[in-house]
Amino acid sequence: MNRLIVTFLLFCCALRPAGQAFAQDTLALDFTAPVRELDVRPYLQLFRGSPGINAPASIPPAAFVQDTAVFHLHKKALHTVNDRWLRFSIKNTGAKTATLYFFTGWHDALTWYPPAPQTPVATGLMTDRGNVSRWDRFAFPVQLAPGQAGTFYLHVVNRFYRENNFMPVLFDAVNYAEFRQDQADHYKSEALIIQLLLGMLLVLLAITIINYTQLPDRSSLYFAGYLLGLIIFFALRLETKPFQLSFFHFCPMFKYYWDVPAMLFCFYLMYMLFGNMFLSLRERYPLLEKAYRYGAIATGVLIVLCITLIAMGNYQAPAIIYKAVYYITFIPLAISFIALARRTRHHPLVRFFLFGSLSLFLLSFYAFLVNTEPVGFTPLPELVAPYNLLILGVLLHVLFFAAGLSYRNKLVHQEKTKTQEMLIKQLNKNKDLQRKLNVQLEELVKEQTTEILRKKMELEEQRKLQLDIEYGKKLAEIELKAIRAQINPHFIFNCLNSIQLFVMQRDFEHAQKYLSDFSYLIRKTLDFSRRNFISLADEITYLNTYLGLEKMRFEQKMSYEIVIDPTIAAAELEVPAMLLQPYVENAVKHGMNNDERVTGLLVITFRLAASDMLECVIEDNGIGIERSRALRSLPPHHQSSGMEISLNRAELLNKMYNTDIQIEIIDKSRKQANDSGTIIRIFIPQL
Amino acid sequence: MIRAVIIDDERNSRDIISLMLGKYCPEIEAVGMAANCREGIEQIRMHQPQLVFLDLEMPDGTGFDVLAGAYDSSFEAIFVTAFEKRFLHTIRLSEVELILKPIDKESLLQAVGTVVQRIGQERHHDRYEVLLRNFGKPAGEVRQLVLPAAAGPEEIVGVEDILYLEGQADKTVFYLRDGRTLPSARTFRYYTELFAPMRFYQINNTHMVQVPHIQQLDPAGNKIHLQNHCLDVTERRMRELVALWKQD
Repeated sequence: MNRLIVTFLLFCCALRPAGQAFAQDTLALDFTAPVRELDVRPYLQLFRGSPGINAPASIPPAAFVQDTAVFHLHKKALHTVNDRWLRFSIKNTGAKTATLYFFTGWHDALTWYPPAPQTPVATGLMTDRGNVSRWDRFAFPVQLAPGQAGTFYLHVVNRFYRENNFMPVLFDAVNYAEFRQDQADHYKSEALIIQLLLGMLLVLLAITIINYTQLPDRSSLYFAGYLLGLIIFFALRLETKPFQLSFFHFCPMFKYYWDVPAMLFCFYLMYMLFGNMFLSLRERYPLLEKAYRYGAIATGVLIVLCITLIAMGNYQAPAIIYKAVYYITFIPLAISFIALARRTRHHPLVRFFLFGSLSLFLLSFYAFLVNTEPVGFTPLPELVAPYNLLILGVLLHVLFFAAGLSYRNKLVHQEKTKTQEMLIKQLNKNKDLQRKLNVQLEELVKEQTTEILRKKMELEEQRKLQLDIEYGKKLAEIELKAIRAQINPHFIFNCLNSIQLFVMQRDFEHAQKYLSDFSYLIRKTLDFSRRNFISLADEITYLNTYLGLEKMRFEQKMSYEIVIDPTIAAAELEVPAMLLQPYVENAVKHGMNNDERVTGLLVITFRLAASDMLECVIEDNGIGIERSRALRSLPPHHQSSGMEISLNRAELLNKMYNTDIQIEIIDKSRKQANDSGTIIRIFIPQL
Repeated sequence: MIRAVIIDDERNSRDIISLMLGKYCPEIEAVGMAANCREGIEQIRMHQPQLVFLDLEMPDGTGFDVLAGAYDSSFEAIFVTAFEKRFLHTIRLSEVELILKPIDKESLLQAVGTVVQRIGQERHHDRYEVLLRNFGKPAGEVRQLVLPAAAGPEEIVGVEDILYLEGQADKTVFYLRDGRTLPSARTFRYYTELFAPMRFYQINNTHMVQVPHIQQLDPAGNKIHLQNHCLDVTERRMRELVALWKQD
């Protein structure tokens, strides 16, 4: 489009009659006639300025010379600051006072000096801020009264490494508006693409940041930095698109700062850092990682240097640095790509990285190669057209990287899942192990507890055994004594004596009876003395036999009676063996030893005092235990020990069987003065 | 005829004694019977017997009680018991006759023979005094004992006076503090048993000494000195003797 316009302009110029050449210095023009892009180069005198000169008055008029080489229709690379003073004289040949518009292009700094009394106007890409409608200020009004001539000065300073079209033309108001319209349309498409790109980049940035918050990964962070750098860079590119909306016009210098540094930042610093992280080069390719790392550090230093230079007003040096970086890194980057490509098989992420890198690398290289701007091969995008190729490259770059990141996230996720699975497996294993261990431990504890219990029981048993032995010993002793006491030797020999008598009297029947009863008694005595408990029935039979023998000895001098409660199951109840006998014997002895009564009466009663308590009562009508004791005091060392032994045995049995046999001895005379005799009550708990 | 009274709390016993007397000892006539001490004393007083069969254990006392109640040096006594350990020591020291139930013919004849022999002899009643004197005393405190002689009168010796006794072939010789020596028809072995619960100690196979009378012990030479006697002690017994002597 530009070219068309330019060709058209050139064509117009060629067609224009040279009639006006007579007045080369002053352009005489009917201001009311339509003026459309009138080339005014022939009427312009130029002066190469310097920083010290800041007013046209300080320049000698002779210093202005005509120099059309300064002007160009395309972008141009600048290697030094282009500081030009333009002098333009014009005369209104029309009949009316009118205003034409003088336009030279979009420059960094412009100052318009109209003849007095009008005041100078300063504008430019570097100076206009947001408080003015800046795109209107690049065309300067030339207002002259009919017939009036005027000399106008324009001071153009281009410091940037790129100079936009520099072509002085005149417009009337209508044509200027049309020109503006054309320009706006022309740049609209570029701005639209940039805005589209910005939108996509913003979305990607948002996604990346969100991803980063979900999965804090340094590569995402670097990618986000890269995206942010790009976003700002492209947003700033809008600043130079005339008549388009832009975001940063309140800060006109920003676009100069974030130009070369932005490219270094995005395509070198962040790129290399991202590559390092993204591909985990530290583990997989330490050499390349080192190279990228040092490259990134160097780039960082260069960025700082560039920004410093820009701050000092030097815009050329950063461009040179950038170009140098581009050329120097061209081959090494290519080599690194090849090196990475060889590892594609082992590392799927490399593919994403490589495709992204290569698409940018190749597309940009291609764009530089086919640059339509007449600046030759240059890596400076400001000087490259068509711009869209670069944008496409960047877009592919970004998309591949984004895809790579997602893939990486997927891998990480997979790894995580795998790890989790493994962890879960391990956990399950651990659980199993724990369970097994627990079971083992439990078993062990159980075993040990059983062991302890067993030992305790053993100990207990031992203790019991010992006690038993002790008791047994005591018991044996007492039993021995008991046998002696219970089968009173007196009784035995007296029995034998009686038998002898029957024999001598030839009363063999009695002798037989006596002998068999006696034998029974002796046998039972020997038998019972070995046992602790016998059944009540046995005991009763025993006592019956014993009393029968005694009665045979004493005949009518004694009588006895054994009373058994009919509810008692005598065969089932148990009594301590030989416990009652001494009391019975005593009762026999005492019962006959009462002068007041001819016949000793002995009553033995068995009954249940409670459901589990057998009560035996041995009652006689003798002189009573107290008097009997008093009588017996003659030999002091003599003691009828049968009862004592029984008492001891009862105590011992109580201890051994944890029972509570109780023996009460009551003298009847205590209860009733005219009564006499002894009552022995023995309580035997049934187990 | 020798008159006898039988005192026993069991009729069977009394019957059997009278039966056996009638059968084996026709010279003895049972003139009275009693079932307890009280009756016994009455019977003795009534019949003035020369011989009394005396049961040791009766409901209202012992045979000694009867003896103590009725004794007037006019009769001999034969103790009869079914089984009696308690009074055995006292009876033996006094050399009083004792027969055990059931009574067999030989022991009855022997006891009756011994006693009948004594009837009418001088001092034959001293043994009952010794018996009553010793009665009721623990073995360590008995006062006297009767030494039976193979022939001739018996001697009564204070236990206190015995230094030691010496076993000889068929007799035992008692050495007394006053220098006398008295023989006993009993064997040494009989006395070692009888004196065991008393304060005597057998120092060797043939000697038994009364420990409190030992004046000097010579453990090195295994000798002891009592008054002017010097006796050998077997080595094993010396140690025990030293312990005993120190206790004393």
